[in-house]
Amino acid sequence: MIVLLSFSLFLLVAFSTLTSATSDYHERLVLQPLPQSSLLASFNFRSNTSRDSFDERNYHHFPRALGQILQHTHTEELHLRFTTGRWDAESWGSRPWDGIKEGNTGVELWAWIDAANDEEAFARWLALTQSLSGLFCASMNFIDSTRTTRPVASFSLSGDHSASNNLHLLHGTLPGEVVCTENLTPFLKLLPCKGKAGVASLLDGHKLFDASWQSMSIDVRPICSQPDKCVVQIEQTVDIVLDIERSKRPRDNPIPRPVPNDQLTCDTTKQYHSDDTCYPLEKTADGGWSLNEIFGRTVSGVCPLGVSQSPEETICLRVPNERGVAISDGAVEIRQPDGFSRCYTLQPSSSFDLVMPEQEATTSIPLDEPVLRAERTIVGHGVERGGMRIIFDNPSNTGAADFIYFETLPWFLRPYIHTLQATITGRDGIRRQVPASQIIKETFYRPAIDRERGTQLELACSVPAASTVTLTYDFEKAILRYTEYPPDANRGFNVAPAVIKLGADEHPIYIRTTSLLLPLPTPDFSMPYNVIILTSTVIALAFGSIFNLLVRRFVSVEEAAVLNSQTLKGRLAGKVVLLRDRIKGKTSKVE
Amino acid sequence: MATPAALPPLPFNPSRVRSYLLRLPLFTRLVLLAIVVFWLLELQTVWSVVQWGSLTPDEIGFGSMYRLNTYPFIHMGFFHAIMNLVALTPLIERFEAEHGTLTAVALFIGPLSTFPAGLYLLVEKFLLHRNTAVVGASVWVFLLLGSEAIRTFKSHPYFSLGTYKIPTWTSPLFACIVVSILVPNTSFLGHMCAILVGYLLGLGYLKVFVPPEKILRWIEGKLNLLGRLPHYVSVDQKTYGRYGVLPTSNTMGDRSTPMSYLGTSQPTIRNLRKNPHFLFVHLPHILSFLCILAGVVWLLLLPLNDYSRRTYISENALLPGQVHAYFSGSEQHIFRGYKKELEGLLPEGIHGEGSERNDVELTPEISDKIQSILRASGLKVATQNYEYTPAGISHRGQNAYAIIQAPRGDATEAIVIVTAWKTADGELNLNGVTLALTLARYFKRWSLWSKDIIFLFTPDSKSGTQAWIDAYHDMQPSSVQPLPLKSGALQGGLVVEYPFDHRFESLHIVYDGVNGQLPNLDLINTAVAIAGGQMGIGANLQEMWDHDDSYEARLQTILRGMVKQGFGYATGAHSSFMPYHIDAITLQTKGDGWQDEMALGRTVESLCRSLNNLLEHLHQSFFFYLLMQTNRFVSIGTYLPSAMLIAGNFTIMAIALWLRTGYYMGSQTHTSAPQDKKEKQPTSQAQSTPADTKPVPKIVERNLALPLSFVIGLHLLGLIPLFIFNNLSYKYLTPATHTFIIADIILPLSLATLLTKAFTPTPQQHLLIKSFSLLLLGLFLSTLATLNFSLSFMIGLLCAPLAFINRIPRTTSAPIRYALSFLGLGVLNLLSPPVVLLGGCWYTGVSVETVLAQAAFGWDVWGMWTQVVVWCVWWPAWVIGCALVGFSLF
Repeated sequence: MIVLLSFSLFLLVAFSTLTSATSDYHERLVLQPLPQSSLLASFNFRSNTSRDSFDERNYHHFPRALGQILQHTHTEELHLRFTTGRWDAESWGSRPWDGIKEGNTGVELWAWIDAANDEEAFARWLALTQSLSGLFCASMNFIDSTRTTRPVASFSLSGDHSASNNLHLLHGTLPGEVVCTENLTPFLKLLPCKGKAGVASLLDGHKLFDASWQSMSIDVRPICSQPDKCVVQIEQTVDIVLDIERSKRPRDNPIPRPVPNDQLTCDTTKQYHSDDTCYPLEKTADGGWSLNEIFGRTVSGVCPLGVSQSPEETICLRVPNERGVAISDGAVEIRQPDGFSRCYTLQPSSSFDLVMPEQEATTSIPLDEPVLRAERTIVGHGVERGGMRIIFDNPSNTGAADFIYFETLPWFLRPYIHTLQATITGRDGIRRQVPASQIIKETFYRPAIDRERGTQLELACSVPAASTVTLTYDFEKAILRYTEYPPDANRGFNVAPAVIKLGADEHPIYIRTTSLLLPLPTPDFSMPYNVIILTSTVIALAFGSIFNLLVRRFVSVEEAAVLNSQTLKGRLAGKVVLLRDRIKGKTSKVE
Repeated sequence: MATPAALPPLPFNPSRVRSYLLRLPLFTRLVLLAIVVFWLLELQTVWSVVQWGSLTPDEIGFGSMYRLNTYPFIHMGFFHAIMNLVALTPLIERFEAEHGTLTAVALFIGPLSTFPAGLYLLVEKFLLHRNTAVVGASVWVFLLLGSEAIRTFKSHPYFSLGTYKIPTWTSPLFACIVVSILVPNTSFLGHMCAILVGYLLGLGYLKVFVPPEKILRWIEGKLNLLGRLPHYVSVDQKTYGRYGVLPTSNTMGDRSTPMSYLGTSQPTIRNLRKNPHFLFVHLPHILSFLCILAGVVWLLLLPLNDYSRRTYISENALLPGQVHAYFSGSEQHIFRGYKKELEGLLPEGIHGEGSERNDVELTPEISDKIQSILRASGLKVATQNYEYTPAGISHRGQNAYAIIQAPRGDATEAIVIVTAWKTADGELNLNGVTLALTLARYFKRWSLWSKDIIFLFTPDSKSGTQAWIDAYHDMQPSSVQPLPLKSGALQGGLVVEYPFDHRFESLHIVYDGVNGQLPNLDLINTAVAIAGGQMGIGANLQEMWDHDDSYEARLQTILRGMVKQGFGYATGAHSSFMPYHIDAITLQTKGDGWQDEMALGRTVESLCRSLNNLLEHLHQSFFFYLLMQTNRFVSIGTYLPSAMLIAGNFTIMAIALWLRTGYYMGSQTHTSAPQDKKEKQPTSQAQSTPADTKPVPKIVERNLALPLSFVIGLHLLGLIPLFIFNNLSYKYLTPATHTFIIADIILPLSLATLLTKAFTPTPQQHLLIKSFSLLLLGLFLSTLATLNFSLSFMIGLLCAPLAFINRIPRTTSAPIRYALSFLGLGVLNLLSPPVVLLGGCWYTGVSVETVLAQAAFGWDVWGMWTQVVVWCVWWPAWVIGCALVGFSLF
């Protein structure tokens, strides 16, 4: 990988330097233009509270509402994700934060809970989901036993925990949950400045939820620099990819109408070019934008909680050094030595705007190649059976990709693990069937129990260099009871995305596939009922009478007697009568 | 019981009703006839019978006294008439039987209608000052009930209901109250007047109006009424006091009366029973023929307003035409730019329109250009190669497709827009492809898509889409590449065809899928609503360019739809989507008008917006329908009986034959019975001695082995032509058809010869062969009717003669037998599958080779099942029919 400095690494490095700072609250916004006129905005908010004061319910910067829930449910480490949209790895490169701050489509939650046994842990987990559900206005209360799993290898503790704790990892997802403003508002309320000051003031629901991809995360973990000097850290991030052109549209005229004729950028070199014929030209220049245009507002100062110490580099921008940027007065620009990033220190009380004028692009930021591409789709058709197809593509020419593949399937999707097959395609495009054991090193499989728990499948896989591996297995769709169908419009059932964990526990990389839609045999609930009743009645009547007509013979009594005497039963009966008569005759004779 | 009952006895004996009706006396008949006649007269609209004859208080004058007599005969509508008829018949019949016809005439024409009328007029007009017109025979019903009640009162004064004693004479009053409560628009007053007069009659106060017996006898004698009039009840025949019974035991009386007439009416029923030839041979033929007739007539009725419905949008989420379509303005410049770009890649010299233009294939350069345009618009692009070789003809190509990922979507759902380089008719679809490219660029700007939008560009309309959709579901054969890029579950498909350069007039919506599957009606309705309602573009179906909403035009549309459905071939690129339960239609531009490509683009945009609104897969509306116009359809419940009746005719015949083989053998009469007996197997000889004298049905054992194996063997034999015609190279298809026609002539005859020589089948076995063959045919066709109505209907009609042909019995003289059987064979051979195919090809002017190559293509690529029905359902039944005629020769 010939990459100068990955964005993710940049983020990590930037924050690892901050971690050592003594301040209790930090916030930062990193902006990076992406290809196809997109802009990645990474917001990060972090605050610490010492473990002792946290245990004494002196929460300091830590949000009290969340702190109380965690203490009540004995949650030692919490990870909560709200995600919508797809990360377009092909255009945008590898994921921000290496995917560790990202979740499944919808809501994903995992936590380490201190409990004596599994039952207690699950009870506390339920309490946790119910409370978080209320706190974040999300349907997390629907994470019941069928949606809860206990991953074995896919997640590891990121905080420092005392050995005396008996920690249980529980994981739950809601792939169908729609993330929207009602989740953002409670999210912002957890911040010390509540989105009124600092970079959080840019977070406007209208713009945020118009993004192409968006992920909100909350991580709570204890960190101990020394064994007895621990802090409880809460880190909140918002990562969004905005379409610059779409975001720049004025709010009162958001419709992308066809542009006026004179604003078309045409390829005038084409010989047919004329006033009414235009071959559109790809834009070579970076479109100009400003924070105000993109987010609809400017940064209103800094959150005063973090300012008490030395001024921070609150906003960072990753563009080549030669790119011209205009900033508001008072802010200080610091250029990083790598030549691709610069950071700004903001004035505490004045608003900050950043203007990128339109400029011909000369160099571009090198983007990370993703280390693995994964795609998961449902194949086959019909309502009875189907198949799952998972494609792993290792773009690297040198090293094999080793990873843990983790998926949870709802109980009404019944996989046939014995049909698990692997094919491998090299760069030559020839597909070869290989034994699955060649790809899958280890398997953890926990089959589903109807209406109690879903399937849990964790595979330790290895994809050779420069090759594509396809895993397939068949499944059967269960028929639900009619009360188990959701009462609302039924578009199918969501199957949670698979989670792929690459690399070591210290610096893992996470990739998530898209969620899937599983169409189940769904009755129309009124029409088939009527139809079935009617047709069954008609068939029963018609069948009964025709069957009667076909198998019965209508004969007179005399004929019946004659016929009857020919059957086995009739003959036997005749013999019996004969015998009886003889016996009777005998007895009468004797008398 | 010497005669075994041929049929199970019915709980309700129709023969009794019949005999009762047959022996109704004269006056009763006349009254009933008059009521029916007046009811029939009301059906016309010119002259209102009710206004003419009703008892209207204000209308009664000297010149309109006739109303006092006419009102009981007139009724308001069918149900009024039938109810009164049913109530009146037993009462008036009893009255006439008791008092004689002449007395009845005198009383009912005179006092019994005028007295209640007068009473009613008095009360209504002079006491109540109202003007309610009354009609109906219920006045007589209550009058007679009243008189009966008085007579009952004389014999049984009270009902005992617990401790209460209710006088029996009040029973008509209760009846009157109940009737006036339950039945709307009854005249309580009129009924009360009638009951009052009835009481007077019953008490004998009206005896003065009865003509003296002497006069009656004199009239009878003079005119010889008894001799001249049928069903006349003479003065001497009247049965005073025969009914000294309760009115509540009415039914008893009814039931007992027919006994006396038993001798007259029973013989017809008995004759029928004694005539098994009619029951077993003629009746099934009549029923079968009626079924076929009813099936055809049923279909012909469908275009009428009473049997069809207007279409409507069933899925509310679609909201067709509720959004503004913005595709216009500078997008047209881009459209022209793209079009020039593509035209530049066409071979030199074919820029104008012409047939050579249609030969331009989708070259790799054009495909690359399409991909580069899509990539420049920011879409994800991928390609897929495929190759099919059905009937020795290679179809290969490369699909290019691009996906607009829904900005906030999760790749769970998608809509497909297909533009084939060649339309379904083989024309160059340059405008359509360009439009799709422009739309892709335009759609990319919108952020409101909830589903991914896939733009698919295929080289042709026949195989490209099929390869793509198969691979999308991972069901592709090995010659088709898998798809490198995918999205979620497909929710709908639109195919756009614009194969000319000038402006168009209307949109032609093509919707038939493979094997007669249809897209959800909501999709068609949405397209029609958007094209017609929002864009002002007319829509056509089934190539009916001048649909004038007449019966003929509607019927023609239905029939064209049925032909396409019946053949089950793919009518366009959309057809391939149907087997995967993805609803899709093709929009074709037709005519020369003033709509341009932008209008088509806006239609597509609006349709995509509607599909984008969907929360669920399209399921609300119908999947089984016949369209007769863009806004009229027949649903499956209405049209299905048509094909079911035709399929049922075979089943009826099969069951009748089965019964016949068990009870009654052959169609011979007494004379030929002994001769036939010798032919018969010993099974029936056991009890032949008493049966010989009487032509009653006998019990016969059935020999099943030969017929069963013959029928099943022939059905399996159908697999051979199925295999041959699907796997032959296209060069040999026409000679193979001709060979097969000859084989079809020889095969039944040789089968007949072989069977006759080897097994000497009995007549019973001939009938059993036919029975099994028809049973299977009926079974297959009725099942098929629910899946592909049109195919079942067509095959059913073509097989209709098979229900009626038989082996001509050997008793017929040889020349006639030979002549008849050769005639039959000739007719049947005209209806054999290959001859019908040849005839169809000759009529439509398509070469046999094209049709058969298309069929082989359909079998291989589309998964078409029409051939299976032809070779494994129709053909075996046909061969068996021919063989049965062939048996007659031996």
